[in-house]
Amino acid sequence: MEIAVIGSQDFIVGFRLAGIRKVHETTSETIQDRIIQILESEDIGILVINMKEMERLPSALRERLEESSSPVVIPVGTEEGDMRDKVRRAIGVDLYKGA
Amino acid sequence: MPAQEIQPTRSELLEINRKIRLTENGHKILKLKRDGLILEFFRILDEAKDIRGDIAKRYSEAMEKIAVANAVDGVIAVRSAALAISCEPKISLSTRNFMGVVVPEIDSAKVCTPPEERGYGLLGTSPHIDLAADAFQRLIDTVIKAAELETTMRRLLEEIERTKRRVNALEFKVLPELKDAKRFIEMRLEEMERDNIFRLKRIKAKGREASG
Repeated sequence: MEIAVIGSQDFIVGFRLAGIRKVHETTSETIQDRIIQILESEDIGILVINMKEMERLPSALRERLEESSSPVVIPVGTEEGDMRDKVRRAIGVDLYKGA
Repeated sequence: MPAQEIQPTRSELLEINRKIRLTENGHKILKLKRDGLILEFFRILDEAKDIRGDIAKRYSEAMEKIAVANAVDGVIAVRSAALAISCEPKISLSTRNFMGVVVPEIDSAKVCTPPEERGYGLLGTSPHIDLAADAFQRLIDTVIKAAELETTMRRLLEEIERTKRRVNALEFKVLPELKDAKRFIEMRLEEMERDNIFRLKRIKAKGREASG
């Protein structure tokens, strides 16, 4: 299976340089349709998406991305992400403290 | 179950006793499941905790490198080098079932390749492009690892939350209601018993009066 990357020109060129073939250049307007296309294709194992783009998606689609396991969707960026919050809610303790 | 809907009969009492046993059993099993999930969660927590930071670090590193490459070689050169890349990271995705939670398992061949095997001309490009490609390959390595870990974490957390809610619902809602119903029926049955005894006594007394 392959890795796919979706995002703006600046975001994807580096991944292209690392050897990934399935790069999808999109703008904010077309990104939703492309994501849905990728979710439905069989041969993609991981979808890499810019975290900022991910946050801008409508929540229904975002939820779908988070729940999808084939492909697995990984947002990449410099932000911390929502994991800490999720852990605190499920376990009841902030386990990330001091990390 | 509101008290009005309960029929104070012995068969209903037996039924409720059966339900209480079932609920307690289910509660015990769900609690075990919850503990198992949390144990598994803690097993991967340490690894998964750092992976976000790793991604952020590698990402800003890679972005920096490619910015340098863009500046030195020009955007067109970087892009054409990117188009010439021939090696491609391959992964295989399978799923594993852990207590009803489907988690992905990802195997990947090594992503990093030496510069001479990448497919673009080394002479025509500057080392900045090589560095950028290196950095991005390392980023992809991390992303592949994160894909497995983070998804597993996410699934486990969801399942833990769901199981916890069910455990609590059984413990604090279903079970107390059943116990209330049981107490109510027992009280009513006892009351009816006392009624009956009193009635029998009266009848007996009347009979004695009539004969005596």
